[in-house]
Amino acid sequence: MRTPLLELRGVSKELPSGGRTLRILDAIDLSIAAGEFAAILGPSGSGKSTLLGLMAGLDRPTRGEVLLEGEPIHGMTEDELALLRRRKVGFVFQSYQLLSNLTARENVLLPLELTGQAGAGARATELLAAVGLGERGHHYPSQLSGGEQQRVALARAFGTRPPLLLADEPTGNLDSATGASILDALVRLRSESGTTLILVTHDPAVAALADRRIHLRDGKVERDETSS
Amino acid sequence: MKAGLFSRQLLRESRGSRGRLAFFAACLGTGVAAIVAVAGLSGALEETIRSQARPLLGADLSIESFRPFPESVDQAIEALPGVRTRVEELVTVVFEPGTAAANEGAAPRSLLVELKAVEPPYPLVGELRLEPDRPLADLLAPDAIVAHPDLLRRLGVAVGEDVSLGGERFRVAGTIAAEADRLAGSFRIGPRVFVSREGLARTKLAGFGSRVTRRVLLNFPEGTDAAVARKIVTGLKDRLESVPGIRVESWLDGQPELRQAIRRTSRFLGLVALTSLLVGGVGVAQTVRAWIASRLDALAILRCLGVTSREAILLYAVQTAGLGLLGSLLGAVAGIGLVAAVGQAYSDLLPPGGLDPWQPAALLRGLGLGLGVSLLFGVPALLAVRRVPPARVLRRDAEPIPASLPLRILGGVVLFAGVGLTAWVQSGLPRVATLFTLGLAASALVLALSARGLLWLVTHVPRERLTFALRHGLAALVRPGAGTVSSILALGLGTLVVLHIALVQRDFSRQLAADLPSNAPTAFLLDVQPDQWVGVSAVLSEQGATRVDSVPVVTARLTAVDGTDTSDLAARMKGDARRQRWALTREQRLTYMETLPADNVIVAGALWSDPGALEVSLEEEFAGRIGARLGSVLDFDVQGVPLRLKVTSLRTVDWRTFGINFFLVVEPGVLEQAPQLRLAAARLPKESEGRIQDLLAREFPNVILIRTREVLERVAELASRMGEAVRVLGAFSVLAGLVILGGSISAASARRSREVALLKVLGVTRAGAALALAIEYALVGLVAGLVGTLGATLLSGAVLKAAFEVSFQPSAALLTLAPLGVSLLAAAAGLAVSVRALRVRPLEVLRGE
Repeated sequence: MRTPLLELRGVSKELPSGGRTLRILDAIDLSIAAGEFAAILGPSGSGKSTLLGLMAGLDRPTRGEVLLEGEPIHGMTEDELALLRRRKVGFVFQSYQLLSNLTARENVLLPLELTGQAGAGARATELLAAVGLGERGHHYPSQLSGGEQQRVALARAFGTRPPLLLADEPTGNLDSATGASILDALVRLRSESGTTLILVTHDPAVAALADRRIHLRDGKVERDETSS
Repeated sequence: MKAGLFSRQLLRESRGSRGRLAFFAACLGTGVAAIVAVAGLSGALEETIRSQARPLLGADLSIESFRPFPESVDQAIEALPGVRTRVEELVTVVFEPGTAAANEGAAPRSLLVELKAVEPPYPLVGELRLEPDRPLADLLAPDAIVAHPDLLRRLGVAVGEDVSLGGERFRVAGTIAAEADRLAGSFRIGPRVFVSREGLARTKLAGFGSRVTRRVLLNFPEGTDAAVARKIVTGLKDRLESVPGIRVESWLDGQPELRQAIRRTSRFLGLVALTSLLVGGVGVAQTVRAWIASRLDALAILRCLGVTSREAILLYAVQTAGLGLLGSLLGAVAGIGLVAAVGQAYSDLLPPGGLDPWQPAALLRGLGLGLGVSLLFGVPALLAVRRVPPARVLRRDAEPIPASLPLRILGGVVLFAGVGLTAWVQSGLPRVATLFTLGLAASALVLALSARGLLWLVTHVPRERLTFALRHGLAALVRPGAGTVSSILALGLGTLVVLHIALVQRDFSRQLAADLPSNAPTAFLLDVQPDQWVGVSAVLSEQGATRVDSVPVVTARLTAVDGTDTSDLAARMKGDARRQRWALTREQRLTYMETLPADNVIVAGALWSDPGALEVSLEEEFAGRIGARLGSVLDFDVQGVPLRLKVTSLRTVDWRTFGINFFLVVEPGVLEQAPQLRLAAARLPKESEGRIQDLLAREFPNVILIRTREVLERVAELASRMGEAVRVLGAFSVLAGLVILGGSISAASARRSREVALLKVLGVTRAGAALALAIEYALVGLVAGLVGTLGATLLSGAVLKAAFEVSFQPSAALLTLAPLGVSLLAAAAGLAVSVRALRVRPLEVLRGE
C-alpha cells in the first residue's frame, strides 16, 4: 500500500464566534491517494471550505494531524507552509483570486517564477494557449469576463505541475454554460498531468464527475463513496 | 525570491500608486522642505560669510586691543610682511551745535555714533563707496568727518555743515553709500562716522580711560603662498593671544562668533523643522496602514501562492522607501526654492554676493531624514503584513495571525530611538536631542489619550435629539477605523507647536519691551571723569533725574591667579575656552563700596571679614571662569601699580534689576587714590532724555549716555524677528497636520462616496451631505485644536517660568479662537478633498462602477 498523498488523522477545527466556540470539523479521518479525483460535498455550513483550507496548509487544525506526502504539516510555521504551498499545492477559487495589478500572463507566471523554474515564460504562454486565452495574455483581470478569469486561474494552478490541486466551488460564480466549459478544462488538464484533485462543491452534478465523493454534514464525514 | 522576480514584482505592485505617491510627497515634502530650507539657509550664510571673510574683517589680519599696544606686540607687528594701517574705534557722541539754546521739544541735537579713526591706505580690502565719489583719504582732512546718511538725517545737518565731536568742531565732508565690513541689520549702537586719526587726536577722546579699541589691519603681500600666510598667522596667535587684552583675527577664522551664532540659531530652527517632518511621519504610518488594509486580499493570495511573510514585507518596505525618497526629493527641491526666495527677498541685508541656494549638505540632510522618517514610521505599520492569514482566500473573516508582543515592543523602542536619532542629527547635542524626543513623545501621548478620551465622551453623548448633520458628524467621528485619533494627533501636534512658539515669543517680548522694574535706571552714563561728576550730576538733577547712583570704576589688569601668571593660564586654554581666556586677559573693571546693592547675595564667605588682607568680592560665575575660589589670591596691575587682593566672599548677582553691578568689588580704603572714572545710573523723565543728552554732549563730550529703553526695544525687535521665522516654520507643522487630515479623508473616499450615494438615495441633498461631512471634519479640527491649544498653554507656562522666569498670562481670546480656527481649517481642507465624493451620482456607486 503506497503512502497516501494526503492524510488527515482525527482532525478537528474550532473557531470562536460571538463569545462561544463553534466546532466546524469534528475528528475527521481521511486518506487521499496520489492521482485521485475526489469531491467534497455538503450543504452550506458543513465545513467543506474549512476542510480544504486544512488540507492546503492554509489553516491549522485545533486538534489532529495533517500529513502531505507523509510529512506532517500541522506544526509548520507560516513561512514553512508558504514554501510548501509554492512547490506542492495549486489552487482554484470560487472568486478566481487573481492579482488585479498583474496581467493575465503575469498571474500565470507568478508561481512559476516563485519556484525559479527555467523557461517559465514559455510555459506560461503554453498554458494560456491551452485554456484558450493565447491572445489575451496582456489583459488585466478587470478586462476579462468571469469565465476568462477562471481559466487564467486554472492555467496558474497547473503551471508548476503540483502534486495536489484544490478547487473550492470553481463554478460557483459562473453561469451554467461557462461553468461546464471550466469543468471540462479542469478535468482535461488533470488527466493530462495526473495531479491529485480535490474539489469542493455543493452541486451533486459537479460531484458526479469525480471518482470519489466525500459527504460532509455538521463537521463529520457522513458518507464516503467511490464510483465503480 | 530571486532578485529579478523581486524587482519585477516590485514594479507590478507599484502600479496604481500615483495617489499614494502624492500623499507621501505631501506628508514628507513639507517637513523635508522646512529642513532643507533651514539647513540650506544657514549653510549658504556661513559660506557667504566665509567667502566674505576678508571684506568683513577689512584685511587679511586684524590685531586689536583695548589699550595701547605693548612694545612686544608692536615689534611683532613690525616684523610682519605686507601693508598695514592703524584704526581706532570707539562709541561717542556727535553734537549739532546749531543755536546755543536747547530748544524745547525740538529734534534731538546729539546722537551716539560708532566712530572709526583711520589713516591711508584704509580701506585695505572691500568696498567703501562715498558720496561724493572720492577716496576717503581725500575727504578726511583733519577737521572733517564722513558719516552714514542716518546721522545727517537724525541731526538735521547737511554735507558741508559743522558738528561737534569730542568738544571740537568738524565739517561733514561726505556720506557713506556702501561699507563692506558691516553686516546690515546687525546690532548697531549708532551710525558709522569716519574721522582721520589726526582728527581724533585733536579731541581728547582717546585719552585716559576711554574705551577705545585700537586695531592694526594687515594685508599680506600680493602672491603670498596661502600655506605660508597660514603659518605666519598661527605663529602670531600663539605669541600674542596670551598677552592680556590682545585679540588676533584672520580671514581664516571667517568671523567665528557670527558663524557660531548662525549655527546655534540653525540648530534651534532645525528642530522646529524636524517637528513638521515627524508630524508627516504620522501621516506616512497612516498611509501605509491604509495601503496594507486595501491590499489584504492580494496579500492573502500571495501568501497562498507561497510568498513568505518576510518576502512580502520586504516588497512593501522597498516600495515605502522608494515613495519616501521620491517624496523627500520633491520636498528638497521646494526647500532649495525657499532658500533662493529668501536670498532674493532679503538681498539688501546680506553681504554682497547673495546666497548660493545649492547646498549639497542640506539636500543630503533633508533626503536622509525624509527617507529615515518614512522607514521609521512606515515599517512598523508594514508589520501588519505578517498577520494576514492565508486562509483569508477561503474565508474573508479568517482570524489574523496573532501579533508578536516582543516585536511590537521592539517596534516602539525602535521608533523612540529613531526619533531621538533624527533630533540628534538636527541639533548635534545629545542632551537637547533627548529632551526634544521626550517632550515630543510626552506631547504625543497626552494628545492621543485626550483624543481617545474625548472620543469616548462623544460616544456617550445622547445623539437622538441632535439635528441630522450633527448626529451624523458625531457618529462618523467615533466610527472604528476612521483614523480619527491619528488625524487628531497630527493636527493637534501641529497646533501645539505653532501656538507654543507664538505664546512663548509673545510673553518673552512683552517682558522685554515692558516697562522696566519701576525703580530700575532708565539710563547709564559711562566714562565720566572724576572732576566732571559734580557738573554731570548737576545737569541730571536740574533736568529732573531721580535715583541717581554712581560708582567709581578703576581699570586694571589681572596678572596672576593664586601665583600663576595669567598669560600662562591663558596659554593653556585653547579653542572653545576662548571665552574663559577673555575673562582672564581682558581689562578688568573694579569698584569699591562699603555695602553691596540689594541685588547681590553673598553665597560664600563674608564681606570685608579679614582685617589682615586687602579684600575683593567676586561674582560667582566670573570666579569660575578665571579659576578663582574663596581664599584665592589675585594679583592686579592698577595702571602700573601692583596690588594683591584676597577673595573673601563670592556672590550671585540678579542682573535683571538693571542696577549697576560688577564682577569685582574691592573693600573701601584700597583704591581711593587710584586713577578712576565714574559710572552712573539714573531714572530720567522720558521727555527730558533727549535734552539731557544734548546738554551733556555740549559740556562733557566724552560722557556716553546709554538709554536702556532703546537697547531693550532693539533687543525686543530682534526677538520678534526671530519669532517670525520660528512661527513660519511652526506653520509647516500645521500644514503637515492638515495634509494628514486630508489624506485620511481621501483614503476613505471610496467608502465616503458610497455613503454619500446612500444618503442621496435616501433623500438627503448635496448641501445636506456636505454639511454632515463638514461637521465631521470640523469636530476633528475642534478636538485637535482644543487639545493642542491646552497643551500649548500648559507647555508655554512651564517653559516661560522654568527657563526664562517670565510670568505667563494665558489669553482667553487665544484659548477660544485657536480651536475654532483649527476647526474651520479642518472643515475647509476636508471639504476640498471630498468634492469628488459629493458630486457622485448615486446610481454609479450603487452599481459598483
